[in-house]
Amino acid sequence: MTSNNPLVERYLGHFFDLLVHLDMAERKEVVAEIRHHIDDATAAGRPIDEVLQALGPVEALARAYQLELLVKPRATTAAQPRSDRWLKIIGLLAIGSLPSFIIIVTLGSIGLSFTVAGIAVIMASIAEQSGTLPVWMTMAVEPWVGIVLGVLMTLLGILCSWGTVAYLRFVLRLVRRIVPAKEAQG
Amino acid sequence: MGTQEISDWSSQLKRGVLELCILQLLREEPSYGYEIVTTLDALGPLAAGENTVYPLLRRLKADGVLETFLRESPNGPPRQYYRLTADGRKRLTALSKEWQAMATAVDECLRKGDSK
Repeated sequence: MTSNNPLVERYLGHFFDLLVHLDMAERKEVVAEIRHHIDDATAAGRPIDEVLQALGPVEALARAYQLELLVKPRATTAAQPRSDRWLKIIGLLAIGSLPSFIIIVTLGSIGLSFTVAGIAVIMASIAEQSGTLPVWMTMAVEPWVGIVLGVLMTLLGILCSWGTVAYLRFVLRLVRRIVPAKEAQG
Repeated sequence: MGTQEISDWSSQLKRGVLELCILQLLREEPSYGYEIVTTLDALGPLAAGENTVYPLLRRLKADGVLETFLRESPNGPPRQYYRLTADGRKRLTALSKEWQAMATAVDECLRKGDSK
């Protein structure tokens, strides 16, 4: 057994790290297979250095796997024809524009107005508490209620603003996936 | 033509043939990576190097022409064996036929050149 040879362990450890594009089960099988190869070859009397040299640099070996296993999917995802691309853009606009408009306008306006109003209520409550509230303003509630309400409003506002940004990101990702950028094609 | 060019040409040629040979080696009984590599090595011109054969075996598995199973090994943990699937047998038949036709045609072509 060569399993505890540090040279072999380093080779296989590095090899495992480089196989990031394989799923975990496949990755373990591939590394186990190469480990078995090294064991078999050394058991047959070949020196360990020579066995590793014949396998080649880890990077080249990992790339060979990547090339073999990526040949198929790459061949089937041919560049989309232009007409198909425009059809997809029109479809996306037709289905997505109205709900997107409603979501962005609603979430966006709630987000902005609640954040601003919440901060104003907090400031007014603090002013009322310290007796510096201008005479033309009156507070209908106790200052502590105002502060709690203000904080809640601000939090809701921030949540909605965050929701708007998250939704925009989601839509952008979706569009990128359905209509890939031209450079990414082929 | 330099030695490097000849070896490039021969490795291009080998790329396709290697698949046929691996399928043929597995026709009668399952085998494992090391055995396949050493069998091919012993066949001289077909020696492909482990860094070609192992990735190719995985690709043939991904294509569904080979499948793997584990079998106890006297040397370490259970070993991964490869065997042909039903698709693999069909592919072997198709590729052998293709190769026979190709080899005959190439032979004929070379003979034509010779007789001039």
